Amino acid sequence: MDGHQRDLYLYERLNARVLGVSMDDVTTNKYFAQSLWLEFPIISNTLAWMGKSYGAYSDKPPFAPDGSPVRFGRLTVVIDKKGIVRYGKTGSPNNQEILHLLLKLEKEFRGK
Amino acid sequence: MKREFIPGLIPGLAVALLVMTGLLLGGCVTMRAEKPKDVVPTDRGTVIFLEKYEFKRPPAGWAMLKNLEGGDFELGFLKMEKGDFPSQTTFIFDDQPFGSSRDLDTRAKQYCTRFLFNTGMYPEIKKQENVELMGLPALAIYMEGENPSRGEKAKSKIYLIQKGNRIISFVCTQWRPLNGIYDQAGFDHFEEFVKSFKYLKKTFYENFEEELKKLGI
Repeated sequence: MDGHQRDLYLYERLNARVLGVSMDDVTTNKYFAQSLWLEFPIISNTLAWMGKSYGAYSDKPPFAPDGSPVRFGRLTVVIDKKGIVRYGKTGSPNNQEILHLLLKLEKEFRGK
Repeated sequence: MKREFIPGLIPGLAVALLVMTGLLLGGCVTMRAEKPKDVVPTDRGTVIFLEKYEFKRPPAGWAMLKNLEGGDFELGFLKMEKGDFPSQTTFIFDDQPFGSSRDLDTRAKQYCTRFLFNTGMYPEIKKQENVELMGLPALAIYMEGENPSRGEKAKSKIYLIQKGNRIISFVCTQWRPLNGIYDQAGFDHFEEFVKSFKYLKKTFYENFEEELKKLGI
């Protein structure tokens, strides 16, 4: 998340906005955002329908070291101005890849 | 059914297979592009890392830490030292230090709140000063902390440098048991590393911002 915050000035130049989604409650997210000085909103989606909709939920979970299932993983999704999902990747975000995609989308939008 | 053995056929087949295998393997060798070395020494007494950075590496006894697939830092050095655990010194170069502010002082505050976060040391800032490194404005921060319950202490020097719109960092931490004595030599090698450090290419972010400017973004 702090990686996205570091790149926020570039996202804004590319007319992109960042939205975090978490299964944690609002209070937890508020403190989390404060601890990382995040300036973008984080949605508290405790029923996790967003994670399920975008594919962050796994039917065959990886397992944590204690054997408990980890059904939700990190997922980065880029949605274009028409609402179409143009990018989805699990794991730690690859900010350079995301920036290149946003630049490509901005060029598409400008017709360049 | 009786199987017929044709003398000469099997040895001939084996030779043919060997020749084919040799040709295939030979093809692989000639076709494979040579992977560039991560670290290449220069005649200036420095090394070039991934064709991106040039710096003076510390003497023998320091192990190089390389992170080629992303992570907390890109490269650094580690030396296990004489004395009880945890007698060691590490120093790293990190082009994405913790925090997000592009203002040096604010970034320093952010960075220091999480420094050695998981060690239970609660390091304190002993001194902070404005300096210049690589011809760029920078902050030098001196921190020390200890964890009596684990019998450990640490002393660190941190450089945060304003490089264009980004902040980069160099960090040296020396670990000692509570009754251990810090050794200046490790910090001296760190200083040589930092002072010799050069970027050989524009960074991803410098190139990206140039591209944005060209497009009027």
